[in-house]
Amino acid sequence: MKYITEKDIKGTVALEDTILYKGIPCTAGSKMLEKFIPLHNAEVADRLEKAGISISGKVNVGEFGFDLLGETSYFGAEKDENGNLVSASSCLVKEGLKGVLAVELNGASIRGAALGGTVFVKPTYGTVSRYGVIPCACSSEQVGVHACNVENASEILSVIAGHDAKDGTSLPCEKYEYFVKDDVSGKKVCIPKEYFEKADDSTKANVEKIADALKSKGAQVEFVSFAEFEASQSAWFVMMCAESCNNLSRYEGVKFGHRTESYNDIEELYTKSRTEAFGLLAKSVILYGSDVLSKNRYFTTYDKALKVRRLLRTKLDALFAEYDLILAPVSSKTGYKEASMKTVYEESYFTSLASMMGLPVVATKGVQLIGNSFEENKLLCAAKAIGEVE
Amino acid sequence: MKYETIIGLEVHIELATDSKIFCSCGTTFGAGQNNNVCPACCGMPGMLPIMNKKVVELGMMAGMLTNCHINRYTTFDKKSYYYPDLPSSYQTTQWFAPICVDGGVEIETSKGKKVIGIKQIHMEEDAGKLVHDEWTDTTLVDFNRTSVPLIEIVSRPDLNSVEEVVAYLDKLKTLLRFAKVSDCKMEEGSMRCDVNLSIRPEGSTELGVRTEMKNMNSITAISKAIEYEVARHIDALERGTETLIQETRRWDDVKNKSFGMRSKEMAADYRYFPDPNLVPIIIDDEWFESVKERLPELPHLKKARYMDELGLSENDASIITSSRALCDVFEGATKVNGLPKDTANWILGECMSTLRQKKLSADDLDIDPAKLGIIVKMVADGKIVRNAGKKVLAAVFGEDVDPVEYCKANGLDAQSNAGEIEEAVKKVLDANADTVTKYKNGETKVRNALFGQVMKELKGKGDPASIQAILSKLLD
Amino acid sequence: MTKETMSSLKQLNRLALTETEEAEVLDFLATLEKGEEKMAQTDTEGLKILVHLSEVSNLFNVLREDKAQKVYTREELQEHAPEAYDGYWQVPRLVD
Repeated sequence: MKYITEKDIKGTVALEDTILYKGIPCTAGSKMLEKFIPLHNAEVADRLEKAGISISGKVNVGEFGFDLLGETSYFGAEKDENGNLVSASSCLVKEGLKGVLAVELNGASIRGAALGGTVFVKPTYGTVSRYGVIPCACSSEQVGVHACNVENASEILSVIAGHDAKDGTSLPCEKYEYFVKDDVSGKKVCIPKEYFEKADDSTKANVEKIADALKSKGAQVEFVSFAEFEASQSAWFVMMCAESCNNLSRYEGVKFGHRTESYNDIEELYTKSRTEAFGLLAKSVILYGSDVLSKNRYFTTYDKALKVRRLLRTKLDALFAEYDLILAPVSSKTGYKEASMKTVYEESYFTSLASMMGLPVVATKGVQLIGNSFEENKLLCAAKAIGEVE
Repeated sequence: MKYETIIGLEVHIELATDSKIFCSCGTTFGAGQNNNVCPACCGMPGMLPIMNKKVVELGMMAGMLTNCHINRYTTFDKKSYYYPDLPSSYQTTQWFAPICVDGGVEIETSKGKKVIGIKQIHMEEDAGKLVHDEWTDTTLVDFNRTSVPLIEIVSRPDLNSVEEVVAYLDKLKTLLRFAKVSDCKMEEGSMRCDVNLSIRPEGSTELGVRTEMKNMNSITAISKAIEYEVARHIDALERGTETLIQETRRWDDVKNKSFGMRSKEMAADYRYFPDPNLVPIIIDDEWFESVKERLPELPHLKKARYMDELGLSENDASIITSSRALCDVFEGATKVNGLPKDTANWILGECMSTLRQKKLSADDLDIDPAKLGIIVKMVADGKIVRNAGKKVLAAVFGEDVDPVEYCKANGLDAQSNAGEIEEAVKKVLDANADTVTKYKNGETKVRNALFGQVMKELKGKGDPASIQAILSKLLD
Repeated sequence: MTKETMSSLKQLNRLALTETEEAEVLDFLATLEKGEEKMAQTDTEGLKILVHLSEVSNLFNVLREDKAQKVYTREELQEHAPEAYDGYWQVPRLVD
């Protein structure tokens, strides 16, 4: 796999290439940052090393993390023997890495683990420091952990979680206690129809199988309907693209990163550098993000998306008053040979709610478990219960 | 036709902090290109902004000084545009909820008193500096100034003349320097000004076409630019020399002309949106009051107190209250000696003339107030003579010298001095018997020559009054 | 989205697209705009915007003391600069 520098990876942890490590190029899967060498470590990298966990290297990602399963990386997509797109991190934990830290932005890590048969845990927004993370949608993105089982994921998560004064949105709690128990008895699980019905038959069958497994362990599982969830897909894209447009504007060929070879003036330097170095999905994200922030669109789209976020927060409060967690598919299909930009948008339907609301997610066995903020342990336990069934 | 000029100012003021607004880089002026820079303020990805508390407090103070309402809930926004001096291609500023709104300051001109409204004050980060290098024919970028904290004070279009603009800027400068919000040094760029100007026929209520001149950094340039723009606008309206358009113009200080900027700004859409990395700031009553308590007594109140309670003349009180440094020295010295009038005389006389000699301004007055207080008291009590006092002051100025010790060490003490004077006078009279004879024969003006000789003999240590007294005793 | 809007967006963001790319992007953006309908139909009357998720945990006033600290040198920062000269980052000459 790309970038891993250590030969013996057993028991080590790697960083997806949107997380900085001093002295080692951090590309974010983009030609723009092919030669960008960070001057400092991400806080999460420091925490791993302080805990005595060795970092074995970097893992390829889709350009800035916008895509479906890493297919937009300038350094090439990863595919399995059947030609299906796979997550590089998911493959690496299967090969023996104890874990991979990844920035979960638009669902790529969640899909990667769920479809790849591994585990990904994204904690509540604000629990893990974003210091040293290549920024895209700062209001929502969060570092999570890929592992081959829930125990490893939770162990690594407990190392990296906790307050960091270098991140102004980091919550004040110094230490989070995570635990994994095979116990879902008495828990109430809901499956939103809006998600279930958008999935194909084999995906639906898998969700039902998981639901049965949970029931067999004493959980109650019900279908629910929340029309407002559907608005989250667009609201999320509006937010992600707007914030990313702004964050990607720092890459213009002046201070670091790609600069075009020949130019006559500053405008040509800017435009050629950016045009040459960004892929089409990144360009589309920028253009759409700029459009929704423009004077005549701001209040009807960007501001509206932020209000939808407020509305969803109240709806989630009501939902989680009644249910412990949400069970949902991560995508409409179980595998993808390729992914167009439209596919990326369509599939974000399943992950946008947790993305824009900063909710904790555990992805495993083709599904995702979404919990209310700070309810990671409910998810970890449910994931354990699912895992023990097979 | 008579025209009315309508001017609004946007004044950018660099705040007096040690570190930048969102990162810990220093803010020292003249540090050497790109020496006050870190990954955050040169736009590298990964670092996150953490707000400098002092910036918020200085912002609050600026609002209090200008009678603004302080927003108790204030937030930050990002403004996007490309320019090489803006390393992230966005500027963090306050667009939706600025820290201060709806204030005003009173100015006084030849036409009397008038209040200039302040629409808002917001906090933001400064941009870097560009240097155009002739040798390489390129533009060089220095990010030292990037992210230095600024406040922008946006006035209402209440200004109608150069005189008012100058008075308004002076007023802001005095207030902000007084409270140590900023040093407001236009020559170092810590106070800069955008001038929005339009004209209309007197009596008209419609606004004319508005032009904006950005980044003006001297009172002379601002005055000349306003006069030039008014004339240009009148020419355009009366003689049709050109069609006025709403635009940003650049003032050229050498050519004494303004030029329209061939502007990409026409299409500019800054796409402001709330910064997700900076959580809102809530100013509760406790914080508000603690900042208010730290505000100094304002100049006009100080002036009244100096006159009413300490008996200073209006003129003296005005001059001292024009500078925070003078006030601090005056109050500190008075506290030690209880002699406000004498102290004021020393500050306005000796201290000011020393500053003039050193080509320094009143704000640079660097003297320990307690030491000045002691010197003034020693002279008032007759312990040393006035001239000796001047010498001690010169020795104490900017140096760590104890005035009492200095007098002893240099024999400036008035008592130990009396015998010395008499001896010198005798010596001079003996050596100038001819002159003494002339004097005794009624040629009284030669007394000045004798006096001069004594002064010379004493190498300036003698108090003129004592010398005259002894001269009289021995001559008359 | 009109051609004019697209052209000004490209200018504003310093990006160029080939004709084929532009067609693909326009098609994609049309999908996104279509998606906005669901959002537009959602009733958010009277709701305030939610920018910071941490607001729910009452996270406000994240402030630091005014202390200067030098951690990085100019040489480190410019080591991989596309062009630097005499301690400055360097760009083509700007004209007003």
